[in-house]
Amino acid sequence: MKSPIIALLGNPNVGKTSLFNKITKLHQKVGNYPGITVEKREGTVHFKDTTYRIIDLPGTYTLFPNSMDEEIVFNALSNKQDANYPDLVVVVSEPMHLKRSIVLYQQARELGLPAIFVLNMIDEAKEKGVSVDIPKLESYLQTRVFQTNARSGQGVNELIQHFSTTTGSYFGGLKIDEQFQPALSEAKQLFPLENEYTTWQFLAQANVAFLSEDTKQKLQSIRAKHNLEIAHLQKSESLIRHHQIDKDLIDIISYNHQTQENKTSAIDKILLHPIWGYVIFFGLLFLIFQAIFAWAEPLMDFIDETFGSLGAYVQTVLPEGPLTGLLTDGIIAGIGGIVIFIPQIAILFLFISLMEETGYMSRVVFLMDRWLRPFGLNGKSVIPLMSGAACSIPAIMSARNIENAKERLITILVTPFMTCSARLPIYIVIIGLVIPDQKLMGFNMQGMTLFGMYILGLLSALGAAWLLGKVIKSKHKTFLIFELPTYKLPDWKNVAVNVWEKSSGFIIDAGKIILAMSIILWVLGSFGPGKFNRAEEIVQQEYPNASAEELENHVKSYQLENSYLGILGTTIEPAIEPLGYDWKIGIGLISSFAAREVFVSTMATVYALGDTEDETTIQGQMRKEINKNTGKPAYNFASGISLLLFYAFAMQCMSTIAIVRKETNSWKWTLIQTGMMTGLAYLAAFIAYQLLK
Amino acid sequence: MHHNNSLDKLKKGERAKIISYSSSEIPAKFFEIGFLPGIDIEIKHIAPFNGPICVNIVQNNSLIALRKSEAKYIIVEK
Repeated sequence: MKSPIIALLGNPNVGKTSLFNKITKLHQKVGNYPGITVEKREGTVHFKDTTYRIIDLPGTYTLFPNSMDEEIVFNALSNKQDANYPDLVVVVSEPMHLKRSIVLYQQARELGLPAIFVLNMIDEAKEKGVSVDIPKLESYLQTRVFQTNARSGQGVNELIQHFSTTTGSYFGGLKIDEQFQPALSEAKQLFPLENEYTTWQFLAQANVAFLSEDTKQKLQSIRAKHNLEIAHLQKSESLIRHHQIDKDLIDIISYNHQTQENKTSAIDKILLHPIWGYVIFFGLLFLIFQAIFAWAEPLMDFIDETFGSLGAYVQTVLPEGPLTGLLTDGIIAGIGGIVIFIPQIAILFLFISLMEETGYMSRVVFLMDRWLRPFGLNGKSVIPLMSGAACSIPAIMSARNIENAKERLITILVTPFMTCSARLPIYIVIIGLVIPDQKLMGFNMQGMTLFGMYILGLLSALGAAWLLGKVIKSKHKTFLIFELPTYKLPDWKNVAVNVWEKSSGFIIDAGKIILAMSIILWVLGSFGPGKFNRAEEIVQQEYPNASAEELENHVKSYQLENSYLGILGTTIEPAIEPLGYDWKIGIGLISSFAAREVFVSTMATVYALGDTEDETTIQGQMRKEINKNTGKPAYNFASGISLLLFYAFAMQCMSTIAIVRKETNSWKWTLIQTGMMTGLAYLAAFIAYQLLK
Repeated sequence: MHHNNSLDKLKKGERAKIISYSSSEIPAKFFEIGFLPGIDIEIKHIAPFNGPICVNIVQNNSLIALRKSEAKYIIVEK
């Protein structure tokens, strides 16, 4: 038997996710909706021999979609063919905003779905002087009403026991305004199998994803014939419902407001203050970056040492040879190079998650909107831009709650300029090589350079946004309206789940790429055509007087240069020579196209393959490397700065490209972004090297 | 004495009632979030340098933020 699907539907900030966590007891996974990467949270719960699939739909105020998130909700609830079409809808509400939740409930029922109603945060109701007459509400909604407190778990078991509820037919429903009736009757001809309200929903939306192009065209001509604007239809429904519910709720709910200042209001006086608000926000940003760099350090050192000694141990146990090299220098070093970022990513997402849970994030949107608007962005772009400092992938996904298509697109296009944690290992290694470890005016020069790279990332994101804002045309006027929820203590379970999902997702995705790249590199570097196999013969002829050890070194480097990997590197060398790189760095650039962090482990593999000595650190190997073409160290000041700039701008991340393609649903914008970033990277690296060399 | 005005002209702390919208381009989302004609509101915060405004909907004590560029189409009565 198919598991029944239970869909949780509700406004934002009603505690829906906490309830989801309580119901599923964390038996859940985060996947993607097919075709787009809106996060899909799904879990299971067993009760009396039945396994229920629980789907946590994104929060929304209405079934008329304003953003990608909200489109998911409508499609899941109105398309009977949709894989997530529920057997029961659980509408989650909270007493303070009962009216808005009833709008959603009615819409779901009128689409023909069975639904039950949950009053969550029941503990807060008393505090705020709200009382609800439950039996009256049940008869008004024609369904069962459950009271829960998702934080303590109160009422959750009783709710689960009623997941097999079936609700009878629903009476009443929206009285559609007379002026739209002629158009509606014409639309009904198109959908003989749908009920009136579903047809109305189709008529009042510009683009219902699952309808055929032909049907959409016909709907459009009905609207054109009757001179109808979809916003007009939607507003009419909204007015009629709110008006009616206001009247109906008079005997059901009573507010006993204390007019005196509440807690939220008092906190907002400081956090939204025109001066202190900004001081506190920037103070918090400073604290976050302090935490990422200072607090994470001991943990990172520990991980670094652990992987270092693991590699050393493997080296002593296994016989010397290229395969051991692959394992120690490629795979172990590569995975270690990723795991080392867990503390930083976890700390960043801990802060972001706390800001969202407490309600502070929407205050940041309020404070920052005015400053991001001139760049063609939106206050809501703050979240993707901040998350971009950890990893662009979740950051780009978080842009989906920006309603305006243009602002969302620009946010997605510029987020990868932010300095993500994958750039850090490259920055740290290169800065360590080419910037002196000295103090300038009391500041450590290496630290200042690293800080400068972060500023550069932010400025280029804003600059690119400004440029794109001039180029991209917008169909709709941009607008911003959002609710500032009351302040709450964070639900630690939600925070923990969020941090865990984000960090483990990053490690697994990046780990797979590193593993694959290490193996490919090793194979390409250990085999080659013609000359590769006659290396010893050729080298012996060239250096007849060399000692055995020297000969071995020469053979090794000759083999590397003539391996498939070497041929790849030497082929692109002419293109990267003006940037100050040799063919070995070229291999690093090619392989790190998959993911930036691969650069350091690639260089380790490349130098280890062409080397017989056991240099202990990657940095040590890099320091003694000589660029054959210039005769100077491969990593000198000019080529180092050139590399830093290259990695600051270049779109070196396949996962980001894939996510941008999915989220924008456009190859055009994905290619423009990649071209723009990598072109800028080449140009900046070229100018820097030519000026500095 | 009643006095009609647009929402963006109100000062912090002022109370008013929403009368109507003077542009049909305002998205339906404004209605859905609770910004309907007839409701009483109070200006709680105004972000500096022409930034967004934060409005309290008195009936259910919720806080809504919006930009001045849209607020100027919302006609209110003090």
